Parts: sequence; C-alpha cells; structure tokens
Amino acid sequence: MNPAFRLGAREGLRIFLPFSVSTLPWAIVTGLAMRSTGLTELESMGMSVLVFAATAQLGALPLIASGAPLWLIFLTGLMLNLRFVIFSASIAPVFHGRPWAQRLASGYLLTDTGFTLLSPRLLGAQDPHWRWGYYLAPAIYGWLLWQTGVLCGVFGADWLPRDWSLEFMATIALLVMLVPMARARPMLLAALAGGVSAVLLRGLPLRLGLFAGIAIGIATGFAAEHWQERKEEK
Amino acid sequence: MIEGFWLWLSFGLLSATTLLTRGSFIMAGEKGRLPAVLQRALRYAPAAALAALVAPDLLLVQGEIQPLNPRLVAGIAVALVALRTRKPWLPFVLGMAVLIGLRKGLGW
Repeated sequence: MNPAFRLGAREGLRIFLPFSVSTLPWAIVTGLAMRSTGLTELESMGMSVLVFAATAQLGALPLIASGAPLWLIFLTGLMLNLRFVIFSASIAPVFHGRPWAQRLASGYLLTDTGFTLLSPRLLGAQDPHWRWGYYLAPAIYGWLLWQTGVLCGVFGADWLPRDWSLEFMATIALLVMLVPMARARPMLLAALAGGVSAVLLRGLPLRLGLFAGIAIGIATGFAAEHWQERKEEK
Repeated sequence: MIEGFWLWLSFGLLSATTLLTRGSFIMAGEKGRLPAVLQRALRYAPAAALAALVAPDLLLVQGEIQPLNPRLVAGIAVALVALRTRKPWLPFVLGMAVLIGLRKGLGW
C-alpha cells in the first residue's frame, strides 16, 4: 500500500472517530423507524444498504406506509437528497482522474458528516494518494458504523412494546433534522411555507400536496433571501 | 403499505436518488458546474421537504386539522429541546415520553 495513502487514511480516521458518538444513535433510530413502519428485518437492511441516506429513508417511510405512488417516493427522495448535489459539486475536484468505479463508490459514500469533516483539508491537499486515503478510510468506517447501528435498531425493535406508537420516532427524527436548519430566517420561512402548504393542499390527488408544498417552500426561501439582501443593501 | 416487489422497486428508486445526487458532479468530472442561482435555490429544498413531511403528521388527525392533539404537543416539546441541546437522544426520549404519557396517562 502506498505510504501517502496510509498516512491519509490514518489522519482521516482520526478526524472522523469522535463523531461516531453522534452517528450511532441516528443509525439505531433509523433502524427502529423502518421496523415500526412494518418492514421486515431483511427489507430494512436492504433499504439501508441500497439507499444509505437517512433523511431520504425516513422521509420515504410514511409514503411507503400509506401506499403512495412510486414516482412520488422518488421525487421526495430526490428533494431530500438534493443538498448532496451541492456537496458533490464542491468536492468533485478531489476525485478528478480517478477511474469511474472509484468515483461512483465515492459518491455513494458521500454523507453529510463525511463532507463537513473531510472536505476542508481534502480540497487543499495536492497528493492524490493522500487524498484518496483521507477520504476512503473514514468513509468506509462511517458506512460500517452506520450499518451496525441500523442492525441494532432493526433487531432491537422486537424488544419494544407494540402499542408505543414507535412510528412517531421517524417524525421526531425528521423534526430534529429540521430544527437546526430553520435557525436562519429565510430557511425558517421556507419550512413554514412548505409545511403549511402541504397541510392545506392535502386534498390534491396523488399526494401532489406534498410536492406542491416542497416547491412553494423552496420558492419562499429563495424570495425571502433576495428580499433580505435588498433590505441590507439599503 | 407497499409490499414485495414494489417495495424493493421503491428502494431501488430511492437508491437512484442517492447515487444521482451524490455522484452527480463527482461522476461528471471536469465538465460539470452548477449555475449559482440554482445552487442557492436548492439550499432550501431539504428544509421545505422536511417541513412538508412533518407538518401533516403533527397537525392532521384522520385527515382533519386538529390544532390540539398529542402528536403536536409532543412535536413542540421535541422542537424546543432540539433547539436547546445537542444531545442526540434527548428529543427522542422526551418526544416519546410526552406522546405515550398523554395517550396512556391522560387517555387523550
């Protein structure tokens, strides 16, 4: 193994390790939420490995439970994953020149935590071997840790009583992700507009209300940002 | 509930959203750049989508708006705790405790 790769791997892991503490509970909750929606152990683990994106999974669960059309599940997943387009655009130069299979794997392994923790030093580094180790080692470690946590949740779900409305865990998880985002004013307005429209438009056929809610939320946030900037310029 | 083949198909579609978004510019290599306006607008997509999913869950009881219900009260408790602490377990424990407490303790 290339020494620069090994050095990068060691340094990447050192940055990543402390955040194991926040990864595990999330993974366990995601595992619990899938089981309480009604998925079997195999289906839950299959979803976890195939999708590997907690927000999209948790968001899709109520749709799966209510038998929503597949295109709506796809579009909702796409919306919940859209932030990764921005991450992908910003981290892409790190993988220039890598074979496409390695780039595909890097994409699959790109998580919020990974991006936030690793991209600052990655984008400044020059040695491609070091960069590859620094990204790949913590990314694989993060994947293993995540799937282990999910596995605990998936099998732990049987020990918890049925009449506890545990499906509410998924709602709590979505809320916990939403709250820190909504601290900035335009983001808060985007969330309020999205939530209120989704409730008011719930009568639309094919659960189009959800989609309309998301679109209205994005438009509101964007408009609020412009308005705020204009006010600051004056 | 979606089951069997269709369930696995939905996993496949969700998997595609992961690969399409995360892989997008990494796969495009040196050709791709995202227009700045689009990049700014897309920042609002996750918050809007999360809220659009959560709000009906908290406000509707059997399809009708119910401004006071156990889920909403538990949801407000979760939001308040999540604002004040970074402890990952607390909102889950508190939210479930409030919901179960209101349903079983008060028969709400």
